[in-house]
Amino acid sequence: MTNFVGVDHFNIDELLTEEQKLIRNTVRRFVDEEVMPIIKDAFEAGRFPKELIPKIAALGLLGATLKEYGGAGIDSISYGLAMQELERGDTAIRSFCSVQNGLVIYPIYTFGSKEQKDYWLPKLMRGEAVGCFGLTEPEHGSDPGAMDTVAERDGDSFVLNGVKSWITNATLADVAVVWAKLDGVVRGFLVEKGTPGFTAVKIEHKMSARASDTGELYLNNCRIPKENMLPGAEGLRAPLMCLNQGRYAIAWGAIGAAMACYTEVVEYAKQRIQFDKPIASFQLVQEKLADMLTEITKAQLLCLRLGQLRDAGTIKPAQISLAKRNNVAMALQIARMARDLLGANGITLDYQTIRHMLNLESVYTLEGTHHIQTLILGQDITGISAFK
Amino acid sequence: MKVLVCIKRVPDTGGGFKLTSDNMRVDTTNVGFAISPHEECAVEEAIRIIEKHGGSSTVLTLGPQAAQEQLREAIAKGITSAILLEAEDYEFWDPAATAHAIAETVKPLGFDILLFGNESADTCNYQVGLRVAHLLDLPCVTGIKALEIQDGKALAKRETKDGWEVYEVALPAVFTVKEGINTPRHPSLRGIMSAKKVPIEQKKVTKPAPQLVRKALKKPQEGRHLEILGQGVDAVPKIIEKLREVGAI
Repeated sequence: MTNFVGVDHFNIDELLTEEQKLIRNTVRRFVDEEVMPIIKDAFEAGRFPKELIPKIAALGLLGATLKEYGGAGIDSISYGLAMQELERGDTAIRSFCSVQNGLVIYPIYTFGSKEQKDYWLPKLMRGEAVGCFGLTEPEHGSDPGAMDTVAERDGDSFVLNGVKSWITNATLADVAVVWAKLDGVVRGFLVEKGTPGFTAVKIEHKMSARASDTGELYLNNCRIPKENMLPGAEGLRAPLMCLNQGRYAIAWGAIGAAMACYTEVVEYAKQRIQFDKPIASFQLVQEKLADMLTEITKAQLLCLRLGQLRDAGTIKPAQISLAKRNNVAMALQIARMARDLLGANGITLDYQTIRHMLNLESVYTLEGTHHIQTLILGQDITGISAFK
Repeated sequence: MKVLVCIKRVPDTGGGFKLTSDNMRVDTTNVGFAISPHEECAVEEAIRIIEKHGGSSTVLTLGPQAAQEQLREAIAKGITSAILLEAEDYEFWDPAATAHAIAETVKPLGFDILLFGNESADTCNYQVGLRVAHLLDLPCVTGIKALEIQDGKALAKRETKDGWEVYEVALPAVFTVKEGINTPRHPSLRGIMSAKKVPIEQKKVTKPAPQLVRKALKKPQEGRHLEILGQGVDAVPKIIEKLREVGAI
């Protein structure tokens, strides 16, 4: 396989630091060498390639933005570029990392006690433990505040009851960050694998994100020590802060998926001969390629600025929503256009486009659907919430 | 143990490339750069030697300021220190001039092992390592695919069509390394962040009158040859014949 060289029509590399480029190139190469040779089969088999976890951890991708607990302390643009490259491999690999980082390491680091941090963060960052994030429920997706999962205090324990659904890393996870209502207030709880009353079940028959470990979490009179509640997380704001970490990673990741489809179809169009000439010479094809490149370039610039805002500490959730909304829709559109140009070949897994196209249907929905991102922006523009 | 590894910054073209309009260089617009692949293995070998035997490793390149990118990548992987022989016109240095500048710089530094790539990915001259060895009057084994250090000596192995040539060499010595000697590691993100704090020793070098002068570059003719050798088992003898013809078996 030829090494991926990226898409950089606006010389955006000139705006990156040496470290940012080296981090991007390192993850790019990791994806070329470790992900690309196995991902097609993993996708087809519906298997998360967990053999990659130690390698991902050795690179330092888990907890990469933390300066403590052995983290590299990379900046937001470097982190975004890493997520871009992982998703260029497959959504499943980016999701594994961004869930572990933004939805497990982040809440434990931000809302956890010192004991919780000292116990879990080194393991999670070394890849010795995997985490998942239980917020969505079968009956409550876009409206997590209406969750049915409850926690009750019983002496030195909490007893949890409820079901969480569409949970990335569910059956892999050694610890689940479960959100439940305690006396009507949303709180976060750390539930360890093997706790009586806690089970994780894989969701089968997905046609998207097939290489991702997606499952349901069942909490049936699940008793956990009172020390397992995240002391700093009170109210729905806490899990929503986590989702913003995930959305940031997705905004970048979508660019990777779009680049994979675009570069694949450009090569194909130059080589595929119809009517005695490459299909790349037809105006209908060139227009689509021009649209794809334009949208990728716009998305790159959007994310670059988003990363600057995140590092400056002035980023607003609505800005992350704008980027997630735009970039995922952009990537999905590019994947569909590329699939179209690949003709019948485009429906086989021998070409990566359809894998990305199918994956992006999940990405369009997860961590805040396209509609929800739209309404977050609507609220930001008008000051009026459409949720209530 | 003091190990030197010399690398070259080369365009990371991902397969295809274009030439500039004057045909004098590879057009590197929108193209990234990388450590030449054989040299990447030499970097890995240097790190492994130091991990096993202790000591320090130094990475050196003759190139532009931008080549700090490749030096820092080597440091991020585990090399101890770096030297940049600064030459913005490095693409036009011939192997003799490059070897001379390297030899002059490293002579007083007392390295036990000097590693090079067998050849660089861009110009493929196969000369610099050998010339440095000659200038420093050191033994040299080229194209090695295995290296072991024992009792102040090195055992270097070269792969041949029929097996291995094994060389026992007293140190200090020069080795040029071929891909396949090891699998180069990826730098860790932590390594990358630490590498930016390591100072790079810099020395300006001036190109002597070249013995080789580049007149122009010419791109090999593109185009793919398609030949149907037959169908089913009947095609097998022709496939074998074709594989022999291209040297694959």
